[in-house]
Amino acid sequence: MHDERKLMLVLDDIHKSFGEVEAVRGVSADIKEGELITFLGPSGCGKTTLLRIISGLSTPDSGKIILDGQVINDITPEKRGIQMCFQNYALFPHLTVAGNIRYGPEVQKWQKNRIEERFEEMLHLVRLDGLGDRRIDELSGGQQQRVALARALALEPKVLLLDEPLSNLDANLRVQMRDMLREIQSRVNITTVFVTHDQVEAMTISDRLIIMKEGLVEQVGPPVEIYDKPNNEFIASFIGYVNILKGEVKSISKDSKSAIFSTELGDLEILTSEKDIKVGWRVYLIIRPETLVIGSPEETIDINMVKGTIRSIMYAGSTVKYVADIEGKDLIIDQYDPATQGMSEMGDKVTVTIPRNVHVLKE
Amino acid sequence: MAEARALSRSGVVGQGAKEFLRAHTIDLAGGLLFLLFAIFIGWPIFTVLVKSVYGSEGFTPEFYRKFFTAYFYRSFLNTLFLGALTTFVCITAGFCIAFITTRGPHFLRIPLKWITLLPLIAPPYIFALSLIILFGRNGLITEALNLRWDIFGFPGCVIAQTLAFIPLAYLMIENTLSSLDPSLEDSAANLGASEGKVLRSIIIPLLTPSFLKAILIVYVMAVAEFGNVAILCGRTPFLAPDIYTIITGVEHDFNMAGVLSMFLILPCAIIFIIQNYIIKGKGYVTVSGKPVSTEPRPISPHILIPMIVISFITCGIILLSFGVVGLGAFTKIVGFNNTFTLDHILNWRANDALINSLEVSLLAGLFGAIMGVLIAYAVIRGKFRGLTSLEGLYLAGFALPGTVLGIGYVFAFNNPPLLLTGTMAILVLSCVFRFVAVGMEAGITKLQQLSIEVEEASTNLGASTITTFRRIVLPIIFPAALYGFIYVFMTTMVSLSAVIFLTSPGYPLASVFIFQWANYGYIGLASATVAKLIVIVGICIAIIQYMSKWTGLSITRRG
Repeated sequence: MHDERKLMLVLDDIHKSFGEVEAVRGVSADIKEGELITFLGPSGCGKTTLLRIISGLSTPDSGKIILDGQVINDITPEKRGIQMCFQNYALFPHLTVAGNIRYGPEVQKWQKNRIEERFEEMLHLVRLDGLGDRRIDELSGGQQQRVALARALALEPKVLLLDEPLSNLDANLRVQMRDMLREIQSRVNITTVFVTHDQVEAMTISDRLIIMKEGLVEQVGPPVEIYDKPNNEFIASFIGYVNILKGEVKSISKDSKSAIFSTELGDLEILTSEKDIKVGWRVYLIIRPETLVIGSPEETIDINMVKGTIRSIMYAGSTVKYVADIEGKDLIIDQYDPATQGMSEMGDKVTVTIPRNVHVLKE
Repeated sequence: MAEARALSRSGVVGQGAKEFLRAHTIDLAGGLLFLLFAIFIGWPIFTVLVKSVYGSEGFTPEFYRKFFTAYFYRSFLNTLFLGALTTFVCITAGFCIAFITTRGPHFLRIPLKWITLLPLIAPPYIFALSLIILFGRNGLITEALNLRWDIFGFPGCVIAQTLAFIPLAYLMIENTLSSLDPSLEDSAANLGASEGKVLRSIIIPLLTPSFLKAILIVYVMAVAEFGNVAILCGRTPFLAPDIYTIITGVEHDFNMAGVLSMFLILPCAIIFIIQNYIIKGKGYVTVSGKPVSTEPRPISPHILIPMIVISFITCGIILLSFGVVGLGAFTKIVGFNNTFTLDHILNWRANDALINSLEVSLLAGLFGAIMGVLIAYAVIRGKFRGLTSLEGLYLAGFALPGTVLGIGYVFAFNNPPLLLTGTMAILVLSCVFRFVAVGMEAGITKLQQLSIEVEEASTNLGASTITTFRRIVLPIIFPAALYGFIYVFMTTMVSLSAVIFLTSPGYPLASVFIFQWANYGYIGLASATVAKLIVIVGICIAIIQYMSKWTGLSITRRG
């Protein structure tokens, strides 16, 4: 599907150092209008620095920030048309909900009617109708989150920046707020840059992910692509659980559509779309736990089936996560609906079938 | 054409200047605050230094040589010794009282605490007055017991200074004592330690930081405070009154006054450096901690009784002092003619001076509060790194003995371009710059609690630095500003050390009148005015305590 949307925000080779530490080492990104894109990575990877550079609160050492076709490097934060929601909301503690939401338009000297209209609109958008006169310390965490969002959106910005907005909320609330954020973002169709270290959050909410590590971009793509086809080991293990097997190409099928890999678990037949594949190539096989199938030891040994013993069980209601010891190598296996499918027990001897279509990374 | 170009160039320059101002508002304000410090603290101290080495024939070490002759050197040693003795007694008594109010019998705790803190609402020189009433040449006790000894000299100074500064020592020690984890003492007792052993091996070692802090502060106060020592010194020389006499007396020796001042600054400067750069204390503002409620552990009488005795004696003298001053305010001549009278209370000259003091104090409070907030903001939010030194500079100003700043102002502002002697302005300025540090520290504490992201959010939403300061920072920092106002106000009301040099006949102040009346024996008038000051200051403290939940700060005092 060809994306017709225009480019709203372009980052061109951004560099930023703090003294000796290079926080951002040449980051480029193209962000389309209305897209929700997430910078995802471990703490210290440079994602918050990047966000502050986009907002204008921090100046890059080099590189361009282009908003809707215009270079905005020299434009002060308040004139950029970009609004940021801070991690701890940064609400004005001495003003009410209304005072906070109206602040931007007031300070920018909008007309009184327009301020009022916009305020009511925002209150309704974030579902805080009737709470305009509440003081900030009277609100719950989720409500404060929504006030921060309303305050940012009140000025009709072109781009919305969200700096780990859900990290201060407890687990249940986080899920609720995640859905609400996504819903509001789509409704208003505002280009949004989201920053988080929580990969579940990033996967569920984003149109595209930008995976970052140590100031560099590792991979850009929609969540499905990042999950199924990670570019390297780091990304593979950062997103979700994964089994990584080292292997070497032993032989290639005549039609070049599959190959036999010799691995730590023996020989495995894996489909491959790699045209240049050669015998002897060293690879990593990226195997997601939910693709493995667990079976009883009585089953006939088939290709890609290995034997092992259950050494750990984590029951989580709708799924159960096993760790099976396959001749010294651990495999993580996810099984769905254990209530119906039946659960294995600690010490059980099992077979594990590895699917033929796994992601292969050349070493 | 050229005209148009010139106009457009000036337009561009104007625009550039505006942008620069907007981007560097805080830094420019910080620069102004540096300048103000230089003019109103740096320059006066510099003139004192110059006077100590520059005579009618140019630079000379003559005056320093003269200092080391018997008289002046003795004055210096007496002062140091006074500080040491006062500190020792203060800390000992303060510790005993703190121990009783935190671990002693419940019924004693609140009364003892309140009495110990009573001196905080009175001018420090109330004790000189009360000691004269009790132990002066015609004192109540002197007469009653037919004593051949009077209070003037060393003993009087030590007692008066101790009483004046015991609340400070007490507050600092009590703060730590009450927040000590009781399980430490319990486990020591459980392991077999006697009460005395627990005291020596657990409590006192853990109290060492607060002892140290208390020692430093009390020492500086005892050395620098003017009123008590000036009134009670008798024929014993001490630095602060000597500086006064040498300037106002027949000698008019500004050079020696300079030398004495330098030596008065010396112990204060050393202690300031120790406190702020070596043990990193938080200046002169004490944070009052929440008392940890404990089951009172049974304390052995060997420990309890001596402590109770010391506490009772101390509190007894404090109450007695307040009592006799109250008596003096309402009797014709206390000790001689004890008829009730309202003459002293209604004395118009006294009330006139009191109104002047109120005016000066209100102005000083206002400017002190505003400046305190501005300095705090520049220190915490200024982009230029050097601005953080503003805090140290103004704290140093706070640590300077009032006497020295007083004569510094006499030297520095006696000539154009800043001819301020004899005006109300010089009184206000000296008090603002002496006491602004307290409001500044309160402001800094409040600002440190305010996440910078809140201000960034405001900037992000389009507000300028000034708008952000006005609409966001100021409302939040307001309690600190109010605290600064009240502190400067109440300290200026009672302050004597600096204003004694700066007051003029046309503009008398209450504190100066009290000093003069006490010296000339007009005890009734002095007592009555002290009583009125107590009421005013008492109200201020009540407001501060009420506000303490906002600011998290408690009270400390300078003369």
